[in-house]
Amino acid sequence: MKASSFHLNLLKPSENLSSSPVRLRIMLPVGAILACAGLLVWWGVLFTQIILAKTQAQGIEEDLAAKNSAHAEAIQKRDLARELKLQLEQLEYYKSGVRAIGEPLAKFAEIVPLRVQLKEMSITPPKPQVLLPPGLKVPLFGPTENVETQKLVIAGLTTKETPVVSLMESLENGFEKLVTSEHHINSFKQDNAEIDGRKLLSFEVEYTMPERRFAK
Amino acid sequence: MNSGLFQNMAPNAKRSFFVTVALAAIATVLYLFCVQPCADELTAAKRRLAELQDRQYRTDVDLKRSSTVAKDLEDLETALKPFRDAMLVPLLESYAMRAKSIIDPLALGAGLEDVTYSDEPFRALPLPTPMPRQLHTRAAVKLTATGSYQQAVSFLLRIEKEMPLVSLQQLDITAQQNPRSQSISIVLEWPAKGGLTRK
Repeated sequence: MKASSFHLNLLKPSENLSSSPVRLRIMLPVGAILACAGLLVWWGVLFTQIILAKTQAQGIEEDLAAKNSAHAEAIQKRDLARELKLQLEQLEYYKSGVRAIGEPLAKFAEIVPLRVQLKEMSITPPKPQVLLPPGLKVPLFGPTENVETQKLVIAGLTTKETPVVSLMESLENGFEKLVTSEHHINSFKQDNAEIDGRKLLSFEVEYTMPERRFAK
Repeated sequence: MNSGLFQNMAPNAKRSFFVTVALAAIATVLYLFCVQPCADELTAAKRRLAELQDRQYRTDVDLKRSSTVAKDLEDLETALKPFRDAMLVPLLESYAMRAKSIIDPLALGAGLEDVTYSDEPFRALPLPTPMPRQLHTRAAVKLTATGSYQQAVSFLLRIEKEMPLVSLQQLDITAQQNPRSQSISIVLEWPAKGGLTRK
């Protein structure tokens, strides 16, 4: 047993030094200083970025101001082009629905048999457009359907049925612009008119005409 | 116990503690009053910059396209010209009278007689999507006359040749005692400005 290793401990607990090489009383203020410095650097970086962004924004604003009138003109032209394109589209609808049947009507006179007297030839009016369908309070700007179908009605007198049949057969070829194959005999009956003492027969045939399609 | 610990601290440690507290306070003030407002301002500035860059990009694209648009406009005007030329415009607010001034020479040239003109209800054209600001419609005018079937057909052929955008809507030829003066009724259509229901 060594007597020299015994001594009185006169230190207070707080005076005990840690065996660690890192002193907390030094490291805490150093850390706080570093934090402050870091914040200052961060602030500086942010400030610089703000200045840069504002300078860049100012440059762009000046560029936009310089291009303003040219751009407004370009926009106006673009809008006008868009509008004209839509107008053209609607007028193209009209064009596609144009009916030109002068030639078949001229040709029709050549196929009417001698024993047929035409009394009337008519193209019926198209169905009225419904621009205020039930349930709607505000009228529509345009029709809901873009197809119109009309009828061609041919009425006349004849001596017997064969000339009418012959006329109908003739209409089957080369009159595609005037009539479709769909037809209906509205009437075929004895008439009061006479020729050479013979009672004539009246007939009325209704043909469906080719559709007028108001679309591209 | 904590106050006891603080009182028992060595003077150096106490000083260190106060310095640390003071620095922490400064750091807090720096963050709250300098860094945080700056960060907010930077976010706003970046957002504004992005908006401006986007606007600049769109402006540049629009300007680059302006030459193409000018060419498109030219093409559109060319394509619209036949329609504009064919458009029926009212004469003293009467479409029938305008139609008369246009087609009377053709009707008389074809040999039709007692020609009269009257307005018929217009018909709407289907709408493209989106709808244009200027709508167009089908202006209809009724022509009644007397003449032969051949004269009526001759008139229609002349119309088709001279005015290819005029369309036949209705036709009615009814036989009369005299085969040279039958009752003829023709409804013709023109393109015209204006919608039926648009105000």
